[in-house]
Amino acid sequence: MSQAPSQPRVLVVDDEAELRGLVMGFLQGNGLAASGVRDGVEMLAALAREAFDLVVLDLMLPGEDGLSLLRRLRAHSALPVILLTAKGEETDRIVGLELGADDYLAKPFNPRELLARIRAVLRRGAAMESTPHEAQGFAFAGWRLDPLRRELFSPEGVLVDLSAGEYDLLLALLEAPNRILTREQLLDAARGREAAPFDRAIDVQMSRLRRKIEPGENAPEMVKTVRGAGYMFLPKVTRA
Amino acid sequence: MRRHFDTLAARTVLLLLIGIGLVHVASLYAYQHALTNEVTRANDARLAERMLTIRRSVMRLMPAEREAAAHELSGGPLEAHWSAADKAAPGGAGAGDWAGLAQQLATQGADLPPQDIILGAQDSHLALVSLRLPDGTWLNLTAFATQSAPQSQHGTVLSTSLMALGVVLVSVLVVGWLTRPLRAVAQAARALYAQADRVSLPESGPREVRDVAQAFNEMQDRIAKLIDTRTQTLAAVSHDLKTPLTRLRLRAESVADARVASAMAGDIREMERMLDQTLQHLRGERDDEAARPLELGALLQTLVDEAQDAGGTASLEAPPGVILLGRPLALKRAFANLIDNAIKYGGEARLRVTQEASGIVVEISDSGPGIPATQREAVFDPFVRLEASRSKETGGFGLGLAIARAAIAAQGGTITLLDAPGGGLLVQVSLPNPSKLAA
Repeated sequence: MSQAPSQPRVLVVDDEAELRGLVMGFLQGNGLAASGVRDGVEMLAALAREAFDLVVLDLMLPGEDGLSLLRRLRAHSALPVILLTAKGEETDRIVGLELGADDYLAKPFNPRELLARIRAVLRRGAAMESTPHEAQGFAFAGWRLDPLRRELFSPEGVLVDLSAGEYDLLLALLEAPNRILTREQLLDAARGREAAPFDRAIDVQMSRLRRKIEPGENAPEMVKTVRGAGYMFLPKVTRA
Repeated sequence: MRRHFDTLAARTVLLLLIGIGLVHVASLYAYQHALTNEVTRANDARLAERMLTIRRSVMRLMPAEREAAAHELSGGPLEAHWSAADKAAPGGAGAGDWAGLAQQLATQGADLPPQDIILGAQDSHLALVSLRLPDGTWLNLTAFATQSAPQSQHGTVLSTSLMALGVVLVSVLVVGWLTRPLRAVAQAARALYAQADRVSLPESGPREVRDVAQAFNEMQDRIAKLIDTRTQTLAAVSHDLKTPLTRLRLRAESVADARVASAMAGDIREMERMLDQTLQHLRGERDDEAARPLELGALLQTLVDEAQDAGGTASLEAPPGVILLGRPLALKRAFANLIDNAIKYGGEARLRVTQEASGIVVEISDSGPGIPATQREAVFDPFVRLEASRSKETGGFGLGLAIARAAIAAQGGTITLLDAPGGGLLVQVSLPNPSKLAA
């Protein structure tokens, strides 16, 4: 992996020194500039001192906890934040996302997944520089996608389960409707999932996604396969 | 006996009735005895009086008229004759029965010297009494024992029956009232594990019942504390293991040998799974996820896809649009465990969904050796695995089925283990249709 001229700068906030060091080392080894701090006080100091592109924030911190720090941060900044939680508790995750976290990972996380999430958040941030940062839902052809809870609802209001890869793929499509997305672009969006170490990953994921949002013979086509180029999302997408 | 008088009420009524019966029989006996004595005494007194009266009457007459007069005065239990000699021989077989008469004669005939009165008992029914007249002749009297006619006892029987009936009615009510707290104890004891919230018993009622309620509440508190402590300990340990596991994963990233790295990743995944399962099991029904309408096919499809991606053989056959009202995460965990088991122990997982008016059925069959019918219940117990060979290689914790069953039960469903038609195990999950739950 070649190092880009300006590496994205990531701040890792975790009180566990060894883990922090390992995460920093892993991110640095994958083309990111990573620094680490141990608590909220140091985090705020570091943010005041230099510019970062993203914060990886542990929820359980000595002193002020991660949720509280996130709330403080969001009061004046749209800096992307990925939460780390050892709890894996549904409520913490939802609260974190509602407070404006861009993503979350439960410990013990897969390092490659962390890398993929960081890249996805950075890319999305770059693509939507102008849009307000609050999490927003997508609506298309009667369907609804809730990015906070990563949930998809059919026109009948029924929850339709998506795998993590399918969700990432759908999100990438919804963010760029009526545009041809190449396999590389989509792969970038959905990469890093633990269980997808194969080349045809995108085509497989896409067929799985289509099976869920285009059920049956008569269902309207939503994703168009553009031969030799990639895929295009057809329905009109609104943000709600 | 045990069957018929099983309840406290029935036993109390039975005891009371036996008690009343015994007391009644005893008092009846005592009463009858006293009554008989009284009647006998009165009879003896009358008899003695008549005898002495006859003697006085006969004594004043001329000897020639005496026998006729004695005959005239006879009657009832008494027959009198006059003669020169005494006929009675003192004593006799039934003398004891006539002791009352002898005593009455002695008392009433106090003016006569004792040798002038001779009582000879023929037997208990017949006695001969000779009384000497002043001129040395004798009046001989034959007395028949009068039967003191037993009185009719209808009144007694009726009053006893009424009393018994009253006792039965009152005791049924009273015992029912007294045992109500006991029934509450039983109910609370049954609810102890079935419900997440503890039900404190009201400490009211008679002292014994209050004691029971208090003891039960204390026991309940102790058990809850014990469980909480253990749960918290285990949860804390599981939780704390997550940080070193995360570090291990990061370290595994820097292992150069791809084979070692992938083996390490597998080990770490297995440890994670154990931790997750332990935490899920401990959390149990305290899961606060809300039930929502969800597409069962899509949910199962995700799991089947994941199983395939992990290298397993899995297939799904489901009609579109099977909608279920349930907790998505809990259901996913439950079915993921069942699919994992099928692949681990049976080589593959074939899922089939059918929906009927009676409910939704998900069948998961494999091609493994199956589970003997006698052990099918045991495999649902936490930490139980059938035999060493089933687990050594495949790892796992023995919690999968326990978690699955708890989650399915929380949705109002059931899990049944059956034989698959072509051999292997068939896990049948029955879930209610959404309309039934939504109504």
